[in-house]
Amino acid sequence: MIRVDNLHKNFGNLEVLKGVSLEVKKGEVLVIIGPSGSGKSTILRCINLLEEPTKGDIYIEGEKINDKKADINKIRQKVGMVFQHFNLFPNMTAIDNITLAPVKVKKMDKKDAEDIAIKLLKKVGLEDKRDSYPVKLSGGQKQRLAIARALAMQPDVMLFDEPTSALDPEMVKEVLNVMKELANEGMTMIVVTHEMGFAREVADRVIFVDDGVIVEEGTPKEVFENPKNPRTREFFSKIL
Amino acid sequence: MNLDFSSMPQYTQLFINGIIMTIELTLISVAIGAVLGLIVALMKMSSVKVISFIGSAYVEIIRGTPLLVQILIIYNGLPQFGIKFPGFVVGIIALSMNSAGYVAEIIRSGIQAVDPGQMEASRSLGMSHSMAMRYVIIPQAIKNILPALGNEFIVMLKESSIVSVIGFADLTRQAEIVSSVTYRAFEPLIIIAAIYFIMTLVFSRLLSKFERRLRSGDTR
Repeated sequence: MIRVDNLHKNFGNLEVLKGVSLEVKKGEVLVIIGPSGSGKSTILRCINLLEEPTKGDIYIEGEKINDKKADINKIRQKVGMVFQHFNLFPNMTAIDNITLAPVKVKKMDKKDAEDIAIKLLKKVGLEDKRDSYPVKLSGGQKQRLAIARALAMQPDVMLFDEPTSALDPEMVKEVLNVMKELANEGMTMIVVTHEMGFAREVADRVIFVDDGVIVEEGTPKEVFENPKNPRTREFFSKIL
Repeated sequence: MNLDFSSMPQYTQLFINGIIMTIELTLISVAIGAVLGLIVALMKMSSVKVISFIGSAYVEIIRGTPLLVQILIIYNGLPQFGIKFPGFVVGIIALSMNSAGYVAEIIRSGIQAVDPGQMEASRSLGMSHSMAMRYVIIPQAIKNILPALGNEFIVMLKESSIVSVIGFADLTRQAEIVSSVTYRAFEPLIIIAAIYFIMTLVFSRLLSKFERRLRSGDTR
């Protein structure tokens, strides 16, 4: 469903990604781990072209997306993204945050969009917050709202860019639970995270990225219990 | 010193006309300047190099040359090319063009003060750049822009006095007229200085009230 071929990304002279290839099948949950600055977020941001690849190809459902002819707005509708800092629209209520894109982009009827939004608010446990502004929500609630907002476009794949890194520890779980539920429903997901517990439990596959390349790849069991590469082992020894 | 205001009251109507003209001129100029300024700001932020260069050049030239010179160029220079406008129009053109340069910077910084994450989130939801601007970025930027725009109005209220040099019948020009018929140089100037002061005082009070409401209505 998603294929990344020999992805390179430079920021000026800094080479962040040095040839990354990966594949994600439909319904699969891929977790990307690695030290900060390793390029894992950049991989994610390239997949919906928030960063333009310097070299290499990215295919979503067979369509090459980093192509001059590709309709990037169309492609992004199929790819939901959740950010570390939520990036909710502060001047809109929870429900308006969710309905804006379906109404404006998909030209959905306002009423239909609201029906979907209410279902999504229920799903993430925020049905009583529909008219609250983001400032009134806790970090965990904000991130759950951000997930609902992304889901409203009915994407085929969801990208999570360190979704719990900006949260207070006691709020991490409520967000991870929503993500787990999503994974159980068969959503295709790529998750950049430092939550190793989540990776172990939910991931179908884990890749370890260091210094712009994939160092290790496998099932959570393989990667966590029997890492082959010394860099992976060193990373785990630091964080576990 | 010999100050004599006794001959002044009979010219009250002239001063009132001047006040009206000055406020009118300022309002129209800032309004047109705001629209032009938005265009210039968007040009300046354009990813097309030529367009962004034109936008930047406009701002630099307007801000880098005296308003008086700009007015004289439009008033005296353009007729040499067969383009002639009445004084009122020249005043409005010159002040709007000038205001646009400053407003462009107000708008640009207002837009750029919006968290870049807002644009990323909008784009990630499939919105085009212009959609994101229209529905997400600009509504948030307006909160940053409006107070500064009000300030620009107050500055322009005072700066507009410069159009009197081309015979525009604003408040300053009325003082000159009164002084030429009464042979009193000082008194009319004191009167208009007081009027300008009161006007800016009133408008800046209104502005800070409005700003406070904007902030208390801020539900972020």
